This record gives sequence, C-alpha cells and structure tokens, in this order.
Amino acid sequence: MEFFKANIIPGEVIVQIIAFLIVFWTLKVFAWKPILKSLAARQNKIKQELDQIEAARHDIEVLKNQYASHLQKIDDEARLKIQDAVEEGRKIAHEIQEKARRDSQSTFEKTKENLELEVDKARIELRREIADLAIMVSEKIVQEKMTDSKQQDKILDMIKELEAASEKKREGLS
Amino acid sequence: MNASNAVHTLQQAATGNAAAENGHELANLTTLLETLFPDSAWVNFLHHWENVLFSILAAAVIVITAVFAARKNKAVPQGIQNFWETIVETVEVFVTGILGPRGFKHIPFLGTLFVYILLENWSGLIPFMKSPTSAWSTTLAYALITVVYIQMVGIQEQGFWHYLKHMAGSPSGVLGLVLVPLMLIINLTIEFIAVPLSLSLRLFANVSSEDRLLLKFAELNVMFHGIPFLFQLFANILAIAFSIVQAFVFMLLSTVYISLMLPHEESGHGSNSHDVLNQPLNHAHQKV
Repeated sequence: MEFFKANIIPGEVIVQIIAFLIVFWTLKVFAWKPILKSLAARQNKIKQELDQIEAARHDIEVLKNQYASHLQKIDDEARLKIQDAVEEGRKIAHEIQEKARRDSQSTFEKTKENLELEVDKARIELRREIADLAIMVSEKIVQEKMTDSKQQDKILDMIKELEAASEKKREGLS
Repeated sequence: MNASNAVHTLQQAATGNAAAENGHELANLTTLLETLFPDSAWVNFLHHWENVLFSILAAAVIVITAVFAARKNKAVPQGIQNFWETIVETVEVFVTGILGPRGFKHIPFLGTLFVYILLENWSGLIPFMKSPTSAWSTTLAYALITVVYIQMVGIQEQGFWHYLKHMAGSPSGVLGLVLVPLMLIINLTIEFIAVPLSLSLRLFANVSSEDRLLLKFAELNVMFHGIPFLFQLFANILAIAFSIVQAFVFMLLSTVYISLMLPHEESGHGSNSHDVLNQPLNHAHQKV
C-alpha cells in the first residue's frame, strides 16, 4: 500500500488525464483526420490516375491494332491496284500491238491496190503509146508506098515484136 | 553562492544526487532549478508538477508539428509533412491490420497514445528533460483513459445489454445464472483493475528502469572521469530502442483489447466470452 501511495499522486493522474484528452482531441481534429483524409484523397487520386493510364494504354493498344489492320488493308489494296494496273498495261500493250498489226496490214493492202492501179494505168499508157507508134509507123509506111508484099510482112513482124515487148514489160511490172 | 559552489551544485544536480530524494533518475530542469533556488515557490511548484510540465512540453511538440504538417497538405509531401504522414500511415496499416476496416475510427486514439508515450519516453534522453512515463501517475492516467475508451467501444459496438451479458460471462442455463456474480466480479476485476495495472506498471517499470540505468552510468562517468563513456552510449541506444518497444507495446495491447470488444462475425453479436478473449490476450502478453 505504501508503494501505491508513494508512486500514485491522484492530482497528477487527473491532470495527466486532462492533458492527454486535450492532446487527443487536438490531434484528432487538427492532425489525424486531415492527414488521414489527405492520404485517402491522394491514394484515390493515384488509383484514378493509374486506372486512367491503364485505360489509355488499352486505348493505345486498340488504336495500334486498328492502325496495323489499316496498314495491312492499305497494303492489300495497293497490291491489288498494282496487279490491276499491270493487267491493264498488258491489255493495252496487246491492243496496241493488235492495232499496229491491223494498221500495217491495211497499209500494205492499200499500197498493193495502189500499185496494181498504177500498173494498170501504166499498161493503158503503154498500149496508147504502142498504138501511137503503130500509127506513126503505118503513116510512114503508107507514105513510102506499100506495094511490095515483103514489106507488108515486115510491118506485121514489127507489130508482133512490139506487142511481145509490151507483154514482157507488163510482166516485169507485176 | 560563489562560482565554485554553483558548479559543484550543478554537478551534483546533473548526476541526480541533489534530487535523490525525488527519484532515481538524471536531474532535469526543475531539479536543477530547485537546487539553485530552493526557496522559490514557483520552482517548488514546477518541481512538484514536473511530470505534467514535461508531458505538456512533449504534447506541445507533437501538437505543433502535427498540426503544421496537416496544414501543409501538399500533393508531394516534404519534411515534417512527410514525417507525420509516415507515422499516420504506419499506425493506420498496423491498426487496420488487427481491427480491420472498423478499426479506422480508432486510429486517432491509438496513434496519439503511441506518439505521445514515445516522445515522453524519449524525453528522458534529452539533457535536463525527464520522462514523464517514468512516473506511475502518468502511465496510470493513460491506462485509465485506455480502459474507459475500451469499455466505451464495447458498449458502442455490442450494445449495452450485450456488453452487460459479456461482463456476466454470457450465462446460459442455471449454472451460468448462478455463476453470474462470480463472473461479474472476475470480469470487472480484469477489465478495470488488471488491465490498467498491467498497462501502467509495464510502461512505468520499463521507463523508470531505463532512467535509473542512465543515471547509474552517468554516476560512473563522473566517478571515473568519463572512462565508461561507451557504456553510457550503449545504455542510451538501449533506452532509445526500448522506448519505441514500450510505446508500441502499449498501442498493441490497447488495439488487442479493442479488438476483443468488437463483435465477432463468426460467433455472433457480442458473444465473445472471456475464455475466448483471453486467448489472444495471453498470446499478446507472452509476446510482450
């Protein structure tokens, strides 16, 4: 009992209780609650920001996939267009070749027809010239007296030779 | 008083000889003042209330720094704000780890107990200061507050009827009813005498022992002209560590007592009998 009396001072106990209660109330109102609130708010903020970062990362991943698929699509379209262009080019080249071939053929045909026409014209011209020559020869012979039968034969031979010469010339032209 | 007498008196006061009749610890500011001004009524008053005086000093340091830290409230904490947020978060993790989410509202009480007792324990290490917790009156005051707080939590959480039932040993059957007076006496003794005595005596005995140890090493240093200085240093380091341990133990036991008052979901509302209660309590005591 003496130990209790020596060590426990009731007045000090009461004052210490009051002092502690004042400290407790002050800290509770002005320190613990604000700090706990601040910590909770910061925790929530960090959590929200982390969630936002995670969502943004997810969005980026989705966009990346979309971008990759778009790129793939563009590549496929470009490849198809190139293939179409090559096919078109081949087709056009073939058509140009065909056209050139047809044009050359028609040109050849026309040239041939022109040549034939020219030959016919030349033949007609030649016949006319021969006729003119024959008339000239005959006029000459008529002027020198056509009495002798040998002379007549000679004239006829000359006409034949002229005809043969004209034939040869025609063949050479065709 | 001439100069040499004053120095001699200061030396005596520093080693506690002058204040030997008041305790077995290093001299503090009030014992020094009493030695210098033995007839001053103010000095006698301060010396008489020295535990309260040093408690108020510790409280002032805590309140000023804590309120300053709380008012800063910066997004990126620095300095004192960082220090207090670390303390608050550590206490929060510890208390909610034992009590669960329902322990959140007890953080201010338990945290104040821890910080206040810790600083008071450490006060004795500062020259011309004193550990108020080396006096039983101080520790008894904190133990009584804790007991009242625990019982209030019990009534609040269980309801008054279930609280009384719990105090009566949750009687069932005729035998239970017959044993109600006995159980009431046992439980009231445990809750209102054993718990405050164990809480207060443990803290008081440990801290006063630390202070006595510091005094004895200081006396040895004076006697042997500072040769056993390393022992003094070792004792100081021990006192720092044990002060933390004792403050932590006080908070831990208070948390455990509160947890025992909370209704347990698996055993129904307020059905925590003392047999069940004493199991973790005993474990905690054994650990301490």
